[in-house]
Amino acid sequence: MNEINIFLMIIGVAIVSMLPRILPVALLSRFEFPPILKEWLSYIAPAVLGALTAISILAPHGSIDISVSNIYIWAFIPTFIVAVKTKSLFYTLLVGIIVMAIIYNLTIT
Amino acid sequence: MNNRELIEGIRDSFPVVLGYMPLGFAFGVLANEVGLTVFQATLMSILCFTGAGQYIAIGLLSAGGAIITIIAANFLVNLRYLLFATSLVPFIKNIPTTKASLLTYGLTDETYAVAINRYQEKEATASYMAGLNITSHISWISSTFFGAMLGTLITNTDKIGLNFALPAMYICLLVLLIKRRSDVYVALFTAGLCLVIAYFIPGTMTNLSNIIVATLVGATLGMLIRERD
Repeated sequence: MNEINIFLMIIGVAIVSMLPRILPVALLSRFEFPPILKEWLSYIAPAVLGALTAISILAPHGSIDISVSNIYIWAFIPTFIVAVKTKSLFYTLLVGIIVMAIIYNLTIT
Repeated sequence: MNNRELIEGIRDSFPVVLGYMPLGFAFGVLANEVGLTVFQATLMSILCFTGAGQYIAIGLLSAGGAIITIIAANFLVNLRYLLFATSLVPFIKNIPTTKASLLTYGLTDETYAVAINRYQEKEATASYMAGLNITSHISWISSTFFGAMLGTLITNTDKIGLNFALPAMYICLLVLLIKRRSDVYVALFTAGLCLVIAYFIPGTMTNLSNIIVATLVGATLGMLIRERD
């Protein structure tokens, strides 16, 4: 692909990644949403985070991997417990990263 | 600018930055491998700021994909931001529209997760958004730059557990976000549905349309089972 095409691609990708983020805020901020819509929107966050968590643990490399050899599942367990007990992002991240490093180095030799 | 809000935004971006560094670095390396210059790779991270989308672009580039295919794939991948951004609208009403729109450019899965948690407790401000989004974006840009520059010297960041930074962040933010019993059901249901869709239609994992469909259904389920007061 020549240089001009690369730049066209970058600009095209920039536009389609910018618009879905900016348009709702730019167009909808003036309106007061009806309560029922607000409530529906309040479920978007737990839904999205549920989906992202599931994918990042159970399909860490782009395809579903539910097996004992998926080390993300093993790292999930202590990390989840720390998250529930401490409710601290710092400790959760710390424990998650350390546990993952240990499991990774123990299993990949 | 409110300095305290700005600093809190920067502070809250820490886990995002930690997760972005290896991802941005790897993107830089891959982009360099498929023939993008350091400048082009870095420019892409400046203008696009879409992790999944940029990886897809590189994959399609190396497979000889056409520009229009790459843009179309990115359009699909980024559609989920319509939902994220819309759900942020009620929280950021107090921020002038132009400012809010510009700052929403820094909306990603990760900054969304951090921001929506914060806004449950505290009012959204432009300073906070700027601190969180811009710091995250800078870490994405600079790690891309270093990846593209130092491609051959790549070290395996999996060894030090950094591949678990973003999953760990999602886990914790999900736990923090759960306020109502119905939130638990919505999260579990959406997680399951998202995987079921991916299982039967593996292609949805490439453009993340399974997240969109599962989220729409999951949020609707929330409405049906919500507690009545």
